[in-house]
Amino acid sequence: MTPADLGRLSTRILLTGLLAALASGCVTSRVENAREGQTGIGDGETIVIMGKSYHLGNETEDSYISCVEDAIGRGRGGLNVIPRQQFVDALFPWFEPRTAPAETKGLVKLMERPGVAERIAEKGVRYIVWLDGDTERVAGGGSMSCAAGPGGGGCFGFAWWQNDADYNASIWDLEGLENAGTVSADVSGTSFLPALVVPIPLIARTQSAACKGLAEQLRAFIVSDPQI
Amino acid sequence: MTTAAVTAGCGSSVRMDPPTIPTPLVEPISVTVGVRFPDNFRSFVHEEEALGNEEWSIDLGRSNEVLFTELFGYMFEELRIVGPDEDPALLGLDAFIEPSIDAFEFSVPSQTKTDSFAVWIRYRIKVYDSGGEQIANWPLAAYGKSQSRMLRGSEALQEAAVLAMRDAAALMIDKLDRETGVGATRAKRGPAPGPGPAVPDAQTTAHDGDKNDAG
Repeated sequence: MTPADLGRLSTRILLTGLLAALASGCVTSRVENAREGQTGIGDGETIVIMGKSYHLGNETEDSYISCVEDAIGRGRGGLNVIPRQQFVDALFPWFEPRTAPAETKGLVKLMERPGVAERIAEKGVRYIVWLDGDTERVAGGGSMSCAAGPGGGGCFGFAWWQNDADYNASIWDLEGLENAGTVSADVSGTSFLPALVVPIPLIARTQSAACKGLAEQLRAFIVSDPQI
Repeated sequence: MTTAAVTAGCGSSVRMDPPTIPTPLVEPISVTVGVRFPDNFRSFVHEEEALGNEEWSIDLGRSNEVLFTELFGYMFEELRIVGPDEDPALLGLDAFIEPSIDAFEFSVPSQTKTDSFAVWIRYRIKVYDSGGEQIANWPLAAYGKSQSRMLRGSEALQEAAVLAMRDAAALMIDKLDRETGVGATRAKRGPAPGPGPAVPDAQTTAHDGDKNDAG
């Protein structure tokens, strides 16, 4: 075996080891809940997933809210989810960013407004889930350089970055007009981009993991899984 | 909503078609109101050079006029659009409203280092009683924000402007009567004297039936 063969072999081993290590260890997540009241949901009852108001400084991404909407309604045991824009339009203007109640204390007054209680009953809405939080890049480093010429091109180097996804969901029970509890997801993921001629992205799906974790926990929380 | 946008060079030209609002869950205020839209309200264009030499032109077109006509139609028992040459004192109104735009501002991601476009519109609502005396001068600031991750820049800016106008609508439904006292103008005016003079050019907008039906 020539020194060049040895070099190629060691590079392959190194890459394989790196891939294996990163694939299993680049995302860490913690999902928790705090229950304040009894929950449960009937066949005809629905839920709405909302983002807290940007008037209050909330930055939750629309894509994250849509992801949770999809995940909580999907598959066996999926809950009936009303699309948030449909709900907001049906209750206009009382769930606009400016007018939506910020606390459950505001629900009593809201229900007294003309047509609101009737419209909510018509839609069968039992729970409103308010999401806040976001995904941020908290660290990063490394360097990479790319070059191209008549004979081809390539990149060399190594870059990495870390994203933190912190989301919190408050579950409001419209039957008792009270806060049923909260579910939170704290996910940290580190992505890597090694490049030996060709860059190989090893992306940590941080936000996706936070979406899946939060949605699963929310669903179990609302149906009042006895294991929670 | 149909929108048209042209993106060119280092900036964008955004032209908006009138937005609509859902039927609000609100009881109409029992007054007959006239509204007159000034020229710069009926056709508003904002041009600005943002950070990084991005030139933006936002043409709101008839958006404000259409939105306010629709909104006031829901909010008041009867609404009349008053033409520029008409004297509102001769129309048998309980109150007369003249909205205007004090300022329009926006921010783009390159300014805020975020993914968001934001729009602020500062409106002013002047309310007059049936005798033509100004009874309120209410400034209101509306705010809309949209994320650019799922939209092109010009589309995200349009979305932010629509959200700001919708925010203004929500604010007016919630607070216009409290802030201006427009709902008390019929009581102050006393019983209606009967049919008013003929107003051939006045356009009447009244929403009958169930105001709470969002369909």
